[in-house]
Amino acid sequence: MTSRPQIQAQPPACHDDALAGLREILRVTRPDAHVERIQRAYDVAASWHRGQTRRSGDPYITHPLAVATILAETGADDEMLCAAMLHDTIEDTPYTLAALSCEFGAGVAALVAGTTALDQIKGRGRRVSQVMAAVKCADTRVLAIKLADRLHNMRTVQFIPQVKQLRKARESLDIFVRVAAQLGMDTIEVELEALAYATMKRNRHARSASGRLLLAVAALLPAAIRTRWCEEWLAELHTLPARRDRVRFAIHTASGIPRLAFTVRMPAWGHRRSG
Amino acid sequence: MKYAIKMTGPVQQVLRAMLEDAAVRRYGLEISKQAGLETGTLYPVMARLERVGWVESSWEDPDLSISDGRPRRRYYQLTKDGAEQARLALAEISLRREKRRSSLTSARPGPLGASL
Repeated sequence: MTSRPQIQAQPPACHDDALAGLREILRVTRPDAHVERIQRAYDVAASWHRGQTRRSGDPYITHPLAVATILAETGADDEMLCAAMLHDTIEDTPYTLAALSCEFGAGVAALVAGTTALDQIKGRGRRVSQVMAAVKCADTRVLAIKLADRLHNMRTVQFIPQVKQLRKARESLDIFVRVAAQLGMDTIEVELEALAYATMKRNRHARSASGRLLLAVAALLPAAIRTRWCEEWLAELHTLPARRDRVRFAIHTASGIPRLAFTVRMPAWGHRRSG
Repeated sequence: MKYAIKMTGPVQQVLRAMLEDAAVRRYGLEISKQAGLETGTLYPVMARLERVGWVESSWEDPDLSISDGRPRRRYYQLTKDGAEQARLALAEISLRREKRRSSLTSARPGPLGASL
């Protein structure tokens, strides 16, 4: 928990300072850590993720770095820290597993491959019990990386659309908190659970009758702008304490959605000049 | 009508409400109350105003809303150019309205006009 402000405050573009927080933690939890190897994993990941950004607008590399930092706090080994840095390169960049294996060794490559494979297991539509069965067979080091990954994603969950936030929170409680308990990673378990409950509470109006009415009618809006409006309306809904006011707001706003859809679909409408 | 946006009644109401203090950032719900418009009318107007660049919108800092335990809200604010053009447009409209009113009263001063 103590490292959290550091992770967010780190200037990611500056290589010398980017790993300062991580090094500080390693000095305490892993004095024997091979820092140059971890630095190299960071550099390789940073170069492959160059140009990619998080939803928050931060450079993408801030995420693997944060994941590695969370793991460093738990005393994870060098291979896990390298794998954490590289965990999204195979899926999201042209970097290949073979090249990764050459540069960082088969151990790191196996962890990255395991992490990527686990993403595919817990695709949508799977039952919790099915996922938990798959989790039982998975390598505990891979699971630890996934947990750290999820923890950082939940720390920054406010930047994704509300309906997705709810899904991630539910999934965190159903699967990740349980896995953390099984692995005995108590700090992660506690923080993840608190974040998931706070997220569900914050977004509870997306599930209310008023929220669902708005979300249903918003299907008329073009997909590209739908989430922006839904998020705005659900946030406004949240500020109305009386249920009657929320229902009123939902009905009136929903009745304007067809006109809004018409307005945004007509490119020249707003610009038309007559006379 | 030489404005970037058709100056309908609701558009004028929104602009008048926002011009009361052009520098303030407001939420949709706030504007709807100040302008006396239902939200169903307000949001399409905001979308049009934003599209022509008179108004800009942005999310509030999510960390702020997180600590309050609520989702982030969307702010609207008049742009500098938008505020200028809106002032001009509203002034022109009220001037035209006044002219029309005075020409009406001067053209029909008879008892018929008074009884209507």
